[in-house]
Amino acid sequence: MPSPTSLMPLSAYLIVSAVLFTIGVVGVLVRRNPLIIFMSIELMLNAVNLSFVALSTFLDSADGQMFVFLVLTVAAAEVVVGLAIIVSIFRTRRTIDVDDMNVLRG
Amino acid sequence: MLNVSFWVLFFPLLGFIILGLLGRLLPRGGILTVAWGACGLSFLFAVINFISLLGTPANARVADTVIYHWVSSGNFSLDFALLYDPLTAVMLLVITGVGFLIHIYSAGYMADDPGFWRFFTYMNFFIFAMTLLVTADNFLFLLVGWGLVGLASFLLIGFWYQRPSAVAAARKAFVINVIGDFGLMLAIFLIFNHFGTLSYQGVFGQLNSSMAGSGLLTAICLLLFVACAAKSAQLPLYMWLPDAMEGPTPVSALIHAATMVTAGVYLVARANPLFYMAPIALYTVGAIGGITAIFAAVIAIFQLDIKRVLAYSTISQLGYMFMAEGVTNFAGGIFHLVTHAFFKALLFLGAGAVIHALAGEQDMRKMGGLWQRMPITAWTFLAATLAISGIIPFAGFWSKDSILASVLAQATISGNAWFYILWAVGVLTAGLTAFYMFRLFFGIFFGSYRGGPQASAEHEEEDEEDEVAAGHHERMPRYNQIFEVPAVMSVPLIILGVLSVIGGFIGSLALIGLPQWHPLPALLAPVVGQSSVSAIVEPSLGLEWISTGISLVLAAIGILLAWRMYGKGFEYKENRNPLYQFAFHKFYVDEALTAVLVNPIMAFGRAATRFLEGDTLDAGSRGIATTFRGVSAGLRRLQTGYVRNYALAILVGAVLIVIYYAVRR
Repeated sequence: MPSPTSLMPLSAYLIVSAVLFTIGVVGVLVRRNPLIIFMSIELMLNAVNLSFVALSTFLDSADGQMFVFLVLTVAAAEVVVGLAIIVSIFRTRRTIDVDDMNVLRG
Repeated sequence: MLNVSFWVLFFPLLGFIILGLLGRLLPRGGILTVAWGACGLSFLFAVINFISLLGTPANARVADTVIYHWVSSGNFSLDFALLYDPLTAVMLLVITGVGFLIHIYSAGYMADDPGFWRFFTYMNFFIFAMTLLVTADNFLFLLVGWGLVGLASFLLIGFWYQRPSAVAAARKAFVINVIGDFGLMLAIFLIFNHFGTLSYQGVFGQLNSSMAGSGLLTAICLLLFVACAAKSAQLPLYMWLPDAMEGPTPVSALIHAATMVTAGVYLVARANPLFYMAPIALYTVGAIGGITAIFAAVIAIFQLDIKRVLAYSTISQLGYMFMAEGVTNFAGGIFHLVTHAFFKALLFLGAGAVIHALAGEQDMRKMGGLWQRMPITAWTFLAATLAISGIIPFAGFWSKDSILASVLAQATISGNAWFYILWAVGVLTAGLTAFYMFRLFFGIFFGSYRGGPQASAEHEEEDEEDEVAAGHHERMPRYNQIFEVPAVMSVPLIILGVLSVIGGFIGSLALIGLPQWHPLPALLAPVVGQSSVSAIVEPSLGLEWISTGISLVLAAIGILLAWRMYGKGFEYKENRNPLYQFAFHKFYVDEALTAVLVNPIMAFGRAATRFLEGDTLDAGSRGIATTFRGVSAGLRRLQTGYVRNYALAILVGAVLIVIYYAVRR
C-alpha cells in the first residue's frame, strides 16, 4: 500500500529505476569511451539507489536508505580509482578507447 | 686394552674434508701438510694401538668400542662400533703405513699435475674408506666401507678424466665392484635373516657344529666370496684390475698393495668361523685362487706395458692368498698379504719412478739400460723382484713357502688329489712368477736404451689420440737426460726395499731351525684359529722342504730362462703362433665379455630407451599434454580481452540467475 504522504504509486518509482538501469547497462555495453561507461555505471548505481529509497519509504524502514549512503560512498571511491586508472592508461598508451585495451586476450 | 681406532679413522676423514673444501685454495705446502699429516697421524695411532695390543695377554686381545648407537628397534640393535683385534691391527698397520709411504712418494710423482689437491683429497678418502672397512665390527659397516672403497677407486682410476680410456676403466671397475657389493648385500640379508644380528661376535657366537656344511652357511660363504672375488680381482671378476692402470701410478700402488684388493683376503679371514663351517665354500675359494694364480701369471708373461705386467702379477699373488685361505691357512693368507703389500707397493712405485723419468713412457720395448742412470730405483726394484719371485731370504719367500707348504700338508692329510693339483699349480706359478718378473726387470734395467726422441715420435704416430688426450706426455728423453728420481720419491722406495728384504721374518722360521719364532701366525691365532699355526709348524719339516725346494728350483729355472732370453736386453719379436697370440691378447677375455655380455646389455638399454622410454612412457605423458593443449586452445577463444564482452557475460549471468529464481518460485 502506498504511504499516505506519497502522491505516486510505488510501481512508478520502480519503473523509472528499471528504465534508468537498462539505459546504464546499454551504455556500458555499447559505448567505447571509458568516461561514458563510467557515467553509465553511475546511472546503474543511482537506479538501484532510487529503488532502495522508494522501497524504504514504502516499507517504512530506514534500512534501504542506509544502503544508499553506502552505495554513494563506494561509488565516489570507485570513481576516484577509476579515473586515476584511465589517466594513467592515457599517459602510457595515448588512447582511452576500451576496444584497444585487449592485452588480456587469450 | 687401548682402542684408538677412532683416531685412525678420524684423521684421514678430516684430511679429506679439509682438502675437499679448501684444497683448491691451499698452496702446495698446505696440501701436503694436511694430506701427509692426516695419513701420518693415522699411522701413528695405528702404531700406538698396536703397541698397546702387544702389551695385552694373548687371550684378551680384542676391544670393541661403540662410537654411537645407530639403530635400536625391537630386539634388533646396531651400533657404529670399532673392533680392534690382531687381524685389524695388522691390516691397519699395512694400510696406513704403506699408504703413508705412497702419500710421500705421490708428492714427487704428481708434482706437476694440475689436479694436485684433488689427488690428495681422494687419497685421504681412500685411506679412510679402507680403515673403516677393516675396523667395522659388524657386517653392515663393513658394507659401508666396502662401498666407499669402490667409490674411492672409481674416483682415482678416473683421476685423469680427460682421457676417455681412464673414464671407461673407472666405470668398469665400479660396475664390477658393484657386482661384488651385491653379493655382499645378499650374504648380509641371509645372515640377518638367519642369525638376527649383524655383528661379527653375535654371528660367530651362534655357530655350532650342527650347522657345519649346511646349505645356508655354504650360500652365505659363497656370496661373501663373490664380493671378495670382485674386490680382490679373482676369476671371473678380475677384469677391472688391469684396466685400473689408467690411474696415476701411485694409485695403482695403493690399490694393489695397501688397500682395495686386500679387502677380499681380509673378509675371508675375518669370516673364517663361517668358512670353517662351509667346506664347499672353502674348496671354491682355494680352487678359484689356484686357477686365478696361474691364469694371471700366464697372461703376465706376454705383456709389454710394465704396469700391466705388475697388474697381472697382483692378480696372481692374490690367487695365492686365496689358495692359502682355501686350506684354512688364514694366517698364511694375511702373511702373504703383508709381504705382498711391501714388495708390490715397491714394484709399482719403482715402475712409477721409471715412467716418471721417461716422461710417461710405459712400454717395455722402449726402455732398457736404466741400471746405470737410476741405481736406487734399480736396486730397490731388484729387491722387490727377488721378493715376489720367492727367493730366500726375501719377504715373499717366507709367505709363499708358508702357503705352498700348507697346501701340500692339506693334500697329504686329506689324501685328496685335488689338493696335490692345487699345490702343483702353486709351485708352477712360482716358477712363472720368477720368469715374468725377471723378464720385466731385465727389460727395464738391462741391455741398452731403446727409447729416445726417435722412438717417442714413432710412438706418437701409432696412437696419437692417446697422447693428445693424456696431455702430460712429452717426448721421451735421451739416455743421458734420464735422471734418478728426487729424494721425496726415492726414500719411500728405500724404506719399502728394506721391508721387502726383511719383511718375511715376521712369519715362521721353522724352516731354518727356529720353530719357536712365528710372531705373525701366533699373533693372528686368536682370530683365525689354531689350525693355521699348526698347519705351518706341525707338518714334518721334510714335507715343507720338499715344497720349498721344488718351488725354489722352479723359481731359479724361471730366472735363468729369463736371463737367457732377456739378460742382454729385452727384444720384442712379433710371434704369429696362435697360442702365443691367444695369451698375448689375454685369452680374449675382454673381447669375449664385450661380445657376450656388454654388447647385448647395451643393445637392450638402447632398445629400452627408444621403445620403453620413448614410445611408451614419454609418448603417454606427451599425449596428456597434447590433450590439454587442444582443450585450452578452444577455451582461450572465450577470452577476447574486450571489456564489453565480459560485461555482457556478467549481464547474461545475472539475468539467468534472476530467471532461475523467478521460475523456481
